[in-house]
Amino acid sequence: MIDLEALKLAYIFIVDLLAVFAVYLIVNYTLGLEYGKSGIPNFGKVLSIAAGAFVAGSIPGRLLAQIYDMYGGIEGIRDPVIADCVTGLSPQKPQILQGMDYIEDNVVIVTCLNRVLSNDPLASLTVLLFTMLVAAGAGAGLGFIASYPALRLREDYLAMTLLAFGEFLTAIGYYQREIVGGTLGVSTIDPFGWAGGYRFLTATLFITLMAALVAVYVFFISKSPLGRVLRAMRDQEVAADVLGKDIVALRRNVLMVSSALASVAGALWAFYAGGIIATSYDRVSWTFLPWVMVILGGAGNDLGILLGTGIYWAARKLVDQYKGLLEPILPFSVIWLDRLVFGILLIAILILRPQGVLPEKPIYPLGKNRVDKIIENLRNRG
Amino acid sequence: MVIDPLTRDALIYASSLSMLSLGLTLTYLTTKVPNFVHGSLATVGSYVLLTFVAVFNLDAYLSLPVAFLLGGLVSAALYLLALRPLINRGAGLLPQMIATIAFELVLLSALNIYADIITRTFKVQARDVLLRRFDVQIPGVGPGVLVASLAMVAVTTITLAVLLYRTRFGVAMRAAIENPMLAGTLGVNVKLVYLFSWFLAGGLAGASGVLLGLHYQQDPAFGSRMLVSIFASSILGGLSSIYGGWLGGFFIGLTEIYGIFQLSRLVGSWILPYRIIFPLLIMSATLLIFPQGLVGLQRYISQGLRIKAAGIIK
Repeated sequence: MIDLEALKLAYIFIVDLLAVFAVYLIVNYTLGLEYGKSGIPNFGKVLSIAAGAFVAGSIPGRLLAQIYDMYGGIEGIRDPVIADCVTGLSPQKPQILQGMDYIEDNVVIVTCLNRVLSNDPLASLTVLLFTMLVAAGAGAGLGFIASYPALRLREDYLAMTLLAFGEFLTAIGYYQREIVGGTLGVSTIDPFGWAGGYRFLTATLFITLMAALVAVYVFFISKSPLGRVLRAMRDQEVAADVLGKDIVALRRNVLMVSSALASVAGALWAFYAGGIIATSYDRVSWTFLPWVMVILGGAGNDLGILLGTGIYWAARKLVDQYKGLLEPILPFSVIWLDRLVFGILLIAILILRPQGVLPEKPIYPLGKNRVDKIIENLRNRG
Repeated sequence: MVIDPLTRDALIYASSLSMLSLGLTLTYLTTKVPNFVHGSLATVGSYVLLTFVAVFNLDAYLSLPVAFLLGGLVSAALYLLALRPLINRGAGLLPQMIATIAFELVLLSALNIYADIITRTFKVQARDVLLRRFDVQIPGVGPGVLVASLAMVAVTTITLAVLLYRTRFGVAMRAAIENPMLAGTLGVNVKLVYLFSWFLAGGLAGASGVLLGLHYQQDPAFGSRMLVSIFASSILGGLSSIYGGWLGGFFIGLTEIYGIFQLSRLVGSWILPYRIIFPLLIMSATLLIFPQGLVGLQRYISQGLRIKAAGIIK
């Protein structure tokens, strides 16, 4: 006899794990692009991720509410589904019939919009893709602005500047209620609602697909001439400069592209979670932890990043599973324990195995066989 | 003479920021790596204070030497356990920077664990806690922390000036910072000098943490949130002279408090939490216009004057 309840729990566990894994995979691949391939220490990863999440939390909902005339009061709403929904919810909050505010009446607006979206997969998909595009644009723009002051200076100045901009954006999200509700947060509209009971599965599969696309993109960059230029810049900046490669432009472009992708990850995570609260977009979760995963797996190795992300989330979920056992013994909250352990682990890796679990492998632009043949020929001649 | 609350706030904040960026610059001079833990070293001091006053009912100012010592030890541990092994292995700037953020992760977790433990063991509020009531009131001036902050700056400045320019150890220290290879050849123990610099910087941060803790609401991430201001001050100072850091700290600290106050009168009080805009803008402007900071600017001006003077003499 199969225990259905346990099976269901396992299914939820796996879907949830896969979603967070895939989101972090996108983030970590962009960090791998910045640090592993180009040597840019982006200590402000949270900037682009928070930007994407803030876009998802504030823009599509507002626009849709505008399109469906939800701000003006019940008389202005032409769509029957939304009018029904608002009237249905009005007993609890009568003033919504007069007019609504995106932040104050966020729950009403999002609930009613979701009713429309859940019957219209095409519109949902359009909203999703539109948000991803806007998030990518916002990420790229912020990546440009945040790196601009220090792009020409030594890497440590760049690291400090990026960190400062990341803190700035999270502070704005936290204190400015108009963007994503400040400390109270907002709900995001649900572009996966049409999948009904398979909503979380669909969302997870979509995020995984995106992560796979980003991974393929990064794999291609590794093998491409661009990848070699980036490595040259990382290892011998002066040589790359002398040979006519514009270091400043390369760094800027890498930061813009990876910020755009990380921003999309932030937006997807906000949609998956169904809501966003500025406090959860902090330096530790979205800057420090990606660094732990990337260094752990091997920053210069594309498979290493996959492995590092996997190791971290497997360990983290394991701790979460046994939280109930640990919590009574420990005189403090368990989340600090795993951060403490991973911090120590990161220092140990940097000292003992700086290349990570999977070290960077040499690339053979011509293919290994041809390189071997050239070496062979040289030997025979010499 | 009673000092108005705004000036009081500005002076207390700027004094601590000045000590913090002086320390950050000092460690940057030795190992050439920006210390991303520096803000949290101040939080170590704040929690020493909290333990003294709220758990053991001791006088607030007794915690100063302990906070200095503990801050110094944590900072020295960062140097000894994380940075020196990396330097010995020949690791570059980037791994060292990453090591400091790893240490920040460890220290932040440790501070949170400590806050949890004292909350549960002693039933003392350890987060979002204001400790002003434990401060002494000096009649006619205001809270003791104001006097203590200014005194700390004065004592530190004088002590450092004497230490660096009037003692053999100070000469060795300056030599080791200026040219570690040469100083090493001449018998200066460069590693010891570096260790001492890290200890001193951490100690000053710990002491600043006590003073900040007596005035501002405390939580385990308080110092960490000051990191942007500390970096901005040090960059404004030029990261090449501890007195540059000192000056940068005062400038940014006063600008932050007065600037946001003036701005709030113009645009409304909603702007008050966005103080971070000032260090951010000053830092960006410094990097864009004179990346070598105040020290570089001063050098540039004095050179310019010299050239002008030479022209006149001709």
